[in-house]
Order: sequence, then C-alpha cells, then structure tokens
Amino acid sequence: MFDCANVEMRELLPDVVAGTLDATTRARVEQHIASCAECASEYETLRLVRSAYASTPAVDVRRIVGALPKVTPTSSSGRGKPMKRWIDWRVAAALTMISVGGLSLAVARRWSADVSPRDSVTAVSSVDTTAAQPPRAAPTEGRTSVGNGARQAPVRPVPAPPISPSKAQLAFAGGVDDLDDASIKALLGVLDDMDRAALAPSEEPDPTPVLPVIRSGER
Amino acid sequence: MAQDHEPNDDSTDLELIARWRAGDERAATSLVARHAPALARFAVSLGQRLDVDEVVQDTFVRAFGSIDSFRADSSLRTWLFTIERRLILDRRRAARRRRDDTSVDDIDAATEFNPLDEMVAEEAQSRVRKAVERLSRLQREVFLLRVNEGLSYKEIAEVLGSTEGAARVHYHNAMRAVKESLYV
Repeated sequence: MFDCANVEMRELLPDVVAGTLDATTRARVEQHIASCAECASEYETLRLVRSAYASTPAVDVRRIVGALPKVTPTSSSGRGKPMKRWIDWRVAAALTMISVGGLSLAVARRWSADVSPRDSVTAVSSVDTTAAQPPRAAPTEGRTSVGNGARQAPVRPVPAPPISPSKAQLAFAGGVDDLDDASIKALLGVLDDMDRAALAPSEEPDPTPVLPVIRSGER
Repeated sequence: MAQDHEPNDDSTDLELIARWRAGDERAATSLVARHAPALARFAVSLGQRLDVDEVVQDTFVRAFGSIDSFRADSSLRTWLFTIERRLILDRRRAARRRRDDTSVDDIDAATEFNPLDEMVAEEAQSRVRKAVERLSRLQREVFLLRVNEGLSYKEIAEVLGSTEGAARVHYHNAMRAVKESLYV
C-alpha cells in the first residue's frame, strides 16, 4: 500500500468527494485519478466513507426554529441604545431645570409679597424715622428709640390700622423711604401701642430704653 | 456544503442572520434548514447515536442566543460545528460523571449496538464504518469533517481548537489507518 507522490493531487481528493472544488480543478484532479492507481484507490475509499455517513438523521426544522430565542427588531442592532439613553438623560435634566426654575419663581413671588410696603411697615430696625416723619409727641421720651436715633419730638397718638402683633414681630426688611404716609402713621401707632403696653405696670418712667420684648422677658 | 443549502434562498449566512435579527423568522428557518443536516451528520460522526435531533436543536439555540459573538472570521457552519462539538463533549462529560465508569473513547469505540447498521445495507459501507469507528476520537473528527463536510484544514483547526498542521497530520494518519483496516 503506497501513497501517491503528487501531494497536491492527493490533498485535493477529499474535496472532490465533498464536492467543494470548482469545475476546472475538479477536472484536473479527476484526470490525475484516471492515471494514478494509488489515488484511484484512495478516492474509492473516500467515496465509501462518505456514502457510509451520508445518511442524515432526521431533524425537525420547524421544532428547532420554534425553540430559537426570539428577537425584537429594536434590540437587534444595539446602535440606538446609547443615543436613547442620552436623550432620556437630557429630557430628565430639562424637566429638573423646569421644576427648579418654577419653584424658584414661586418662592421669589412669595418673598416679594411678604415684603410688600404694607407689611414692611413693621420693618423698623435700623430705620431712622425722623427723617421722613414730622415730630410727634412721645409718651415716654427715649423709650422707643428706633434704629440709630431716638425720636426726639413728642408724638401724638395716632389711631393705628389693625396690624397683627405677629406681623409686627416678623418685620425684618424694607426702608422707610419706601413707606407712604399712611404706612408710617401705622408704624408709629404700633410703636405707641407697644410703649403703652410697656408702661402699664409702672407709673414711673423707665430712664433706659427697653424694647417691649425684653421687658416682658424680665417679668 | 452547498448541496445542503436551500435552493430557493441564495442569501448568504450573514444576510440571513441580519434578517433574523431584524425580526424575520423565515431567515431563521432558512439558516436551520441550511445547516441542520450537516450538524446532524457531524453529531453522528462524533459518536452521538441518540438524541441527534436534540443536540442539533441545542446547538442552534446556543448559537442564536450568542449570535453577537459570531465575528464572521470563519464560516457560520464552522462556528456551528465548534458549538456542537463543545455541546456533545459537555454532554459526554456529564454522562461520564453520572456513570463514572465509562471513558469517552469507550463510548466512541465500535460496539455491538449500532442503530445506523440498519440504515447501511451494503457490506462495504459497514466495513468502512467500523474502520472509521476504530480511529481515535480526534482522528475521526478530523477525517469526517474533511471527507464528509469538505472543511479545509484551517476550518477543522478552528472547530477543534487546534492547528492547521495538526489537523493535516490527523487526517493522513486516519486515512492510513482506514486503508489498512480495509485492505490489509
């Protein structure tokens, strides 16, 4: 039992049996087989092998296809996923900005409403009302000093508009220049009320200026 | 092998894969019909005598489930052969662990039980089959991939995870052993 010395032809024998050669090469190999006893014998053996294993066990194509994993067209490419995620993030960021902006606007409006001229009547700290107000008779001189300077002139009692004490205590901002006459009168009225309340327990004037809050704390 | 391909579908494997990924189930049918017979034959050549249909199905399920890892560096059929071979070896290892007393080569060796004998009428084919079954597992895989499926040595090396030169040596050793078994 010998092997053919033509290695190229011998190597191509399985391809002839499997039918994977082009027509030209196949014809060339078959021509060699016709003139080579060794290759003819090997070729016959290969054909026997192929025929022995040619029978294919039955396979159910439909059942196999039914068992395959299902794909969704949108998830097949995978290209749209990063872009979609990016768009989602941008939408989320825009919604957040809109929410924060709207909330800020609402707070700002509420703030401006809280410091309206009417309420700022009670914003008396650090305000020298003498500059904007004619002299009035103070019931107790020097007791209701406001801001940097004490009121020097006596002030007549002026009926104050109804302002709740809580609002008066919450006063925190505003300038006296922003007040109109009515507001200033109201402010002074509140101060007078506070003075009267502070003086009620004692007939003797207190030489030291004391705010009503401090006074009530001492009691 | 070209003869296994559906005559009415000239699309390439890559085109069919793209169509299947786009939701075309007919493309999957074409792919299965195109490659299932070769996978069934390869399973038999690997000594898989039972549940061939199941092995082929599992091969396709595994392949389609990881189709993104198919880089088209090799042909789809070569890739499918690689998957099927691993699947069969895994099943054998599992079966061997269960029995723990039978080696893979013992399973592969020619035995008295052989259902394919009923399908092979001629005496010559029966002798050839016995000669092939006497080969070592690796020789038989290389030999039948080369002769039955027409794979090149390079493709065989990819399926087996070996080298082209090793595949060539295995083939010629197998060829010599079969001839000696038949004619000596």
